[in-house]
Amino acid sequence: MAARSVLRYLKLRPVVFQSHRCASLSGFDIQHKTPTIKKVMPIPKAHYGGRHTVTMLPGAGIGPELMGYVKEVFKYAGVPVDFEDVEIDPNADDNVDLDYAITSIRRNGVALKGNIETRSTEAGVLSRNVALRNELDLYVNVLHCVSYPGVNSRQKNIDIVIVRQNTEGEYSMLEHESVYGVIESMKVITNFNSERVARYAFEYAKRNGRKKVTTVHKANIMKLSDGLFLEISRRVAKDYPDIIHNDMIIDNCCMQLVSNPHQFDVVLTTNLYGAIVSNVVCGLLGGAGLLAGKNYGDHYTIFEPGTRNTGTSIAGKNIANPIAMLNAAVDMLRHLGHKHHAIVIQNAINKTINQGVHTRDLGGTATSRDVVDNILKHIKIATA
Amino acid sequence: MALLARNICKALSQATQKNTVRALHVGTIRQQESSVEQEGKLKCTLIPGDGVGPELVVAVQNVFKAADVPVEFEPYFLSEVNPTLSAPLDQVSNSIARNRVCLKGILATPDHSMTGELQTLNMKLRKSLDLYSNVVHVKSLPGIRSRHQNVDCVIIREQTEGEYSALEHESVKGVVECLKIVTATKSQRIAKFAFDYAVKNNRKKVTCVHKANIMKLGDGLFLKSCQEIAKMYPRVTFETMIVDNCTMQMVSNPHQFDVMVMPNLYGNIVDNLASGLVGGAGVVAGASYSAECVVFEPGARHTYSEAVGKNVANPTAMLLCAVKLLNHANLKRYGEQIREALNRVLNDGKVLTKDLGGQSSTTEFTAAVINSLR
Repeated sequence: MAARSVLRYLKLRPVVFQSHRCASLSGFDIQHKTPTIKKVMPIPKAHYGGRHTVTMLPGAGIGPELMGYVKEVFKYAGVPVDFEDVEIDPNADDNVDLDYAITSIRRNGVALKGNIETRSTEAGVLSRNVALRNELDLYVNVLHCVSYPGVNSRQKNIDIVIVRQNTEGEYSMLEHESVYGVIESMKVITNFNSERVARYAFEYAKRNGRKKVTTVHKANIMKLSDGLFLEISRRVAKDYPDIIHNDMIIDNCCMQLVSNPHQFDVVLTTNLYGAIVSNVVCGLLGGAGLLAGKNYGDHYTIFEPGTRNTGTSIAGKNIANPIAMLNAAVDMLRHLGHKHHAIVIQNAINKTINQGVHTRDLGGTATSRDVVDNILKHIKIATA
Repeated sequence: MALLARNICKALSQATQKNTVRALHVGTIRQQESSVEQEGKLKCTLIPGDGVGPELVVAVQNVFKAADVPVEFEPYFLSEVNPTLSAPLDQVSNSIARNRVCLKGILATPDHSMTGELQTLNMKLRKSLDLYSNVVHVKSLPGIRSRHQNVDCVIIREQTEGEYSALEHESVKGVVECLKIVTATKSQRIAKFAFDYAVKNNRKKVTCVHKANIMKLGDGLFLKSCQEIAKMYPRVTFETMIVDNCTMQMVSNPHQFDVMVMPNLYGNIVDNLASGLVGGAGVVAGASYSAECVVFEPGARHTYSEAVGKNVANPTAMLLCAVKLLNHANLKRYGEQIREALNRVLNDGKVLTKDLGGQSSTTEFTAAVINSLR
């Protein structure tokens, strides 16, 4: 213990070998056991007597208050879903809470999640958001960006689906200092994962009647890595002759998105480009508080707000926009098959936004409370 | 000529078919419309059962009426001992599958099968809806004097396989073989149900009850499945206990138990034993779950047929079932209202049925509950 504190004082930590103190999984394992597909025991989901149990990870910043609103709306609408709350201590220097959260998602199958903060600087403690995605093998992130007519945004009538590879690429967390002053960061692209995500994008397009898939890449510079991604998406496209496939370089794509977003339908990207593209589109539509994203794997699903911001600066001030989290909750209800409740809540949300009850981030004056009360009012009208 | 006749016949039969199809179609549309109209009301299948079941169901309906509960019952008489009056099973199970909730009395099961069929009606109903899990919450009620106070345990029982598989045969004359089926899938499913129940209701311990020392393969598989699932719940204590020891512990020190999970037959025995500890078959409620629907029924399965028409049966168990039903269906306000009224009556101890040492009748008890609704 004393030795460790001395080391900490000398700031030698990055060089010192870190013994992993986590009981069942080391941080390294969590990062690097994937991207191979995991064999999991086929256990039944928590679905009894028509009620589902869902893991809830409130996360940091505005997460807990937004989760409170979700619970309130669910209770009011009589949604047959129960939540299992799992708190992850952002200051903890081990992964015990994280392991428990992962176990909880494994047995419930579905989670609703805010953005989780990782304050610990220990080398064995990695970004919990990334760890969750990697450990549960949630290889695809889907963000459906639709304009709300009632929101005063830069572009109208946008309807873009962004399908993003979620577990590899630049987020592989393989960085090292090979020589003093020279850092190498690895970007890993695998045939297997690229094919899975491309297949998902085309299958999504086919099932939802979409016309076009655009692969976003930078294969002119990264000829091998992004080249592989592009080549595989072209190969998968051959299996879907009814869907138009084209590709676009990321820098051009960003420009096209802000000048003429209506040319896009389904956008297929690698990890980092996906993060950029989704934030660009969210910005066009009215900011971080509106859209909800879905993370899918073969066995598990996590629903979360579309842009991954904790919003620590506005926490507890009653001004955060609850719409994104509520949209995520509605997506979750659709996924669980509670269609009736999903429609009731979705309509209430849409009416509230389109009537102009907006929080400050959308240029309105309403508080979070006002927005939620308005949604409850519309639910009451719909169910009375 | 023959060809012509055939053609005419075909045309006629098609015409009639079309008509029937159209009639059916109109029927379904009407049904949908009516279900939209009654959006605010919860539909619930009601099976009064045999013995005192119908009397208890009347008590529940009266209390619901008095409390103005927005539940509409869809009654079906289902009985094995009274086959001529019984509604067809598929009609009843379709109704439950549609409504997702059901309140059910106890069905009597004769010792001898008249038709040679081994499956009872109860088992058929469970099989057809896949009601695999039976949950009995054994909890001491206020004001009831019993052997133990403050008992609070939950008994979870697998009820679609095990000894109740209805696979019996006489291989040689005088030798009967009865098969007990244990499968890994169903054992894991019930174990996961028990642990999920524990997590959801903030309970700390799950005890697996088995007899794996004798039935090393059958109960061994059940035990192994429970152990596997237990690994996924690091914050819930997991214990195992042999069923004979468990029954002894249950009567001497029931407070050590929290959630218990067990195969079919042991569950039946332990359910009845535990019900006896807290006041008998008239005061313990239970529920059977499938993935999609729930059937609420009294915890200890007795029809009490000797008391039929005497107005002495205790409606507490049935009322508690109804409370659980309301809590399950997001009508918690009404559920708690009825539970509080019931507790008040039991606490006062002035109006109690015979099984709890009182002198009152079923109707008097029900009236007392209605009077203390607030």
